[in-house]
Amino acid sequence: MAMYTKDEIFQAISTVIDPEVGFNLVEMGLIYDASSDDEGNVKVTMTLSTKACPLHQMILQWVKEAVEKLPNVKEVDVEVVWEPEWNISMADDNVKKALGA
Amino acid sequence: MMKISQDFAPPFKLIAPFFILGSIFYLLSTLYVFSFNVNELSFTDPKVLSFTHLFLLGFVMMIIFGAMAQLVPVVLEVGHFGVELFYAIWPLLLIGTLLMVFGFLYSSALLPYGGVIVLTSMMIFVGEIFLTIAKVKKLTLVMSSVLISNTFLFFGIIFGLLMALSYAGTISVDITSLLKAHVFSVLGGYIAITIMGLSIVLVPMFTLSHSFSLRPLEISITLMSVTVVLAIIASLFHLETLSFIADVLAVVAMLVYAYLIFIIYKIRPRKENDIYAISLMFSYSSLVVSIAIGLLYFVKGTENYLLASMWLLFFGFFGFLITGHIYKIIPFLVWFERFSPLVGKQKVPMLVDMVPTKSSQAQFVFGAVGVLLVTAALLFTSKALIGAGASFLVMSALAFLRNVLYMINFK
Repeated sequence: MAMYTKDEIFQAISTVIDPEVGFNLVEMGLIYDASSDDEGNVKVTMTLSTKACPLHQMILQWVKEAVEKLPNVKEVDVEVVWEPEWNISMADDNVKKALGA
Repeated sequence: MMKISQDFAPPFKLIAPFFILGSIFYLLSTLYVFSFNVNELSFTDPKVLSFTHLFLLGFVMMIIFGAMAQLVPVVLEVGHFGVELFYAIWPLLLIGTLLMVFGFLYSSALLPYGGVIVLTSMMIFVGEIFLTIAKVKKLTLVMSSVLISNTFLFFGIIFGLLMALSYAGTISVDITSLLKAHVFSVLGGYIAITIMGLSIVLVPMFTLSHSFSLRPLEISITLMSVTVVLAIIASLFHLETLSFIADVLAVVAMLVYAYLIFIIYKIRPRKENDIYAISLMFSYSSLVVSIAIGLLYFVKGTENYLLASMWLLFFGFFGFLITGHIYKIIPFLVWFERFSPLVGKQKVPMLVDMVPTKSSQAQFVFGAVGVLLVTAALLFTSKALIGAGASFLVMSALAFLRNVLYMINFK
């Protein structure tokens, strides 16, 4: 049985904000999936808006730290994938509206 | 997990001098415009040569080199070979630039010294970049553009040094046969190809544009590379037809590149017109108008058209492309060093909070008006318009310097 649901992990990650665009990673649509097992091991699958992101490692660290704040979480594995490639259609409507997309 | 652009950000104290000095040279370049006698301007005029080197070496190259210290690891996806070498680059470039600027104006005996010091500075830069590229396992198109542009820079500065030595009477070579080789190697080979490669990483990153073909970039870089090689051959062997073909290819290369930027702009999801966006719009518009005026020069043969075209290329295209990117690069570097360790512990500013909005807009408006007035002054040979344009440009450059210092000192 999972210790945390996908929504609960997403909620934790939504505290991480991209300093360039000013939106959190979840509403940007950058977090693809999240799951946990009953021992508190969490796996997050995410992407970035560009492969050349100079904050790449730092953002991964922030995601890890945000999830680790959940009680009883033991280990967090953050995997970055480039397929499917991120595009603006993956972002929430409020992000699209604010950007003018 | 695929690792890309890890924490290779160099310390800001290493890069800050490049941006501060570049901004001061930008201001000095605008002050220099007051001294233009529009009735006597010519590309062989030592005053114009001095101005060109003040702007290109002091502002354009200084800022590009500083930016590359941060951008090379992002683009090449490996750490620098020896980022500490950048501590030696800016002092040498500073001294070399000043000697060349004063050398053209007052004493050609200074030119070989300035040339050798600039050469040393650039050799360190090119060497560092080549050794960093050697760490890359597989070259992408953008990585290849860095390799190609730095190879042309290497040859461009050799041609430049030979000219400087000849100018001072140390050796005897035909300066006119090296001039086009020098200009095309540096302007087309280094600056244009560097801009092409880096902008295709940076512009989509900031506009969030996706799903566009890189084929136009491939074509424009290939065309520009062929152009530079043809221009060097034509210059060294006085081949007029080949020289003309090189000119045409250069225009086509820049138009293909401008088309790609237009596509990226058109599909951008991020539509806000911040200082970055409007600076780039003015920059690329200047490029297109510069090409149009350059074509008029080919038809009519009047040097004023060539001067106006080059002016728009320098102060319009290069100038606003650089100032626009500075409003992204400096806040990022300062934020990375000063605020990123505080994330999750206390409230930190967003990058946009670090840009002085009104002052940056003032810099843009004064700068744009100044560039257009000087363009008109060159086209219509108007001394009054030169003075008016220079006044606007100085105000813009002062605002720019102030903004750079504001962002660097943001706490």
